[in-house]
Amino acid sequence: MSHLLELENVTRVFGGLTAVNDLTFHLDQGEVVGLIGPNGAGKTTTFNLISGADKPSSGTVRFKGAVVSGLKAHQVCMRGLTRTFQVVQPFPDMTALENVMVGAFARYRSRQAAEEKAHAVLERIGMQRKAAALGRDLTLLELKRLEIGKALATEPELLLLDEVAAGLTPVEIDDILDLVRKLNGEGMSLLVVEHVMKVIMSLSDRIVVLNFGLKIAEGTPKEIASHRAVLDAYLGEEGYVA
Amino acid sequence: MRTTRPYIVALIVFGVAAFLPLMLSKYYLHMAILVLLWAFLATAWNILGGYGGQHSLGNGLFMGIGAYGAAYLVLTWNISPWLSMGIFFIVAGLAGAFVGYLTFRYGLKGAYFALVTIALTEAAVYVTSNWTALGANNGLSLPIAQSNNFAMLQFTSETGYFYVILVLTLLIMMFTIWLASRRFGYRLISVRENEDAAEALGVGTMSTKMWAIMLSAALTAVGGVFYIVLYNYVNPRSVFGEAVSVQILLYAIVGGLGTVWGPLVGAAILVPVSEIVRGSSLGQQLQGAYLLTYGVILVLTMLFMPTGIVGVAKSIRRRLGGRAPEGPPAGVTPGEPQTELSEQDGAAL
Repeated sequence: MSHLLELENVTRVFGGLTAVNDLTFHLDQGEVVGLIGPNGAGKTTTFNLISGADKPSSGTVRFKGAVVSGLKAHQVCMRGLTRTFQVVQPFPDMTALENVMVGAFARYRSRQAAEEKAHAVLERIGMQRKAAALGRDLTLLELKRLEIGKALATEPELLLLDEVAAGLTPVEIDDILDLVRKLNGEGMSLLVVEHVMKVIMSLSDRIVVLNFGLKIAEGTPKEIASHRAVLDAYLGEEGYVA
Repeated sequence: MRTTRPYIVALIVFGVAAFLPLMLSKYYLHMAILVLLWAFLATAWNILGGYGGQHSLGNGLFMGIGAYGAAYLVLTWNISPWLSMGIFFIVAGLAGAFVGYLTFRYGLKGAYFALVTIALTEAAVYVTSNWTALGANNGLSLPIAQSNNFAMLQFTSETGYFYVILVLTLLIMMFTIWLASRRFGYRLISVRENEDAAEALGVGTMSTKMWAIMLSAALTAVGGVFYIVLYNYVNPRSVFGEAVSVQILLYAIVGGLGTVWGPLVGAAILVPVSEIVRGSSLGQQLQGAYLLTYGVILVLTMLFMPTGIVGVAKSIRRRLGGRAPEGPPAGVTPGEPQTELSEQDGAAL
């Protein structure tokens, strides 16, 4: 009955600005939900509220039936919900292996076990050859992969991907998409924020559309593509902006 | 094998150093003791500053707790400095927890963290200057040793002090090796590298920093206890003065932040420099000339090798070793790229 992730009337106010306004949606086990909206719609704020980087002004976030809003980010991670960042956040003076090991230490106490896990993850994301390279020496594509690798090493049940395709070339995007699809194929649930429409449309089971912090539509990619309010929000037609 | 090697290297280096008293005159042996003492203090600082990235400019505070505390206990109840090392390990650890809670709770980093540590250490100068039980401005002095007394950490010659600090410094360096190779060490470095990313990967950044400052402070106090038995004298400025706190981090920075050997290398180079400058005619005429020298060395280090001596050595080794992914096979020189390429192709197939 209960959903894997549930947002209930979540609101976040920054001073006079309501960044997220009464947002309610859910995500089920094994599902890929896309979160889209124009710039400033509140997507990243929503991510922060779910992952514990920020607290809602009101409303609750539930993960596996338990309230997680109000927990610290590291506590949320320990419960099985890990995020990646829109702007890649590597540990520049650590090797790729060590970067991933930090994630693995969330589940494994011993160094040897964490190292084995990290090697397995690097293999998985196709970065084994770069295991000994420093974070600062990796290319953007490699850093995007590493970002996913670090998160995977924490063995999440739900992975939050914040714009994994941003800044990549079309070929690189396909490359990353393959990886994400594989993860979902293996049963991982995903909440994806993305600007690149091609990515979100091909990846998502359902899409939630935000505009000015409000949910203006929710549905399958097909439904969303022809949704009036969505088109208005993106194309800036008159009459919608309240 | 890879995990035991750093310990063995440390044991060998310190084993060789154990013969120094046979070779050095009293003057140079005293210098060796100072090198080891400052290496000890800089290594303690390095746990929080180098690995954790939180640069304390007030570690003199914790050193002073050890020095004043041990002196007071010897003078009042004749309590052994050995015991004081344990007592003030805990007391300074708690003081570190206080400083950490005060600063990290409010997310103070970088210069702001450093400023708070300076302020607290400066406050300690005024507190001790007005605390009659601690000798106020005059400080505390211990009687000069008349005979060797290991239990009270009193020696008539430099040799005794040398071996005590040699073992203490070896222990703190092995502790650092151990710490850095464990989960805590990786997490501490990740906090230095990127706090938000660390937090997102399940690292409790607040508790990690708290443990680091407590350890760093506690170990610094042990160095402070050794300081008092070596000099037999402590006053407010000699431990809480800003020169002391700056010296501690200077050795770590010049030697290499976040490296096991950096603090020792930094101290081994800079302590003799300061002693020489102090003894020179310039040093006689201009008090504090050694601090001026330090300033120049610090600026040059920051400009030309911000990762310190050991840091530079490491990156050179990485660059040389990084030519071939599996390590260059013996006999293959950079002049023979053909061989190397074909090997890589073979591996790829």
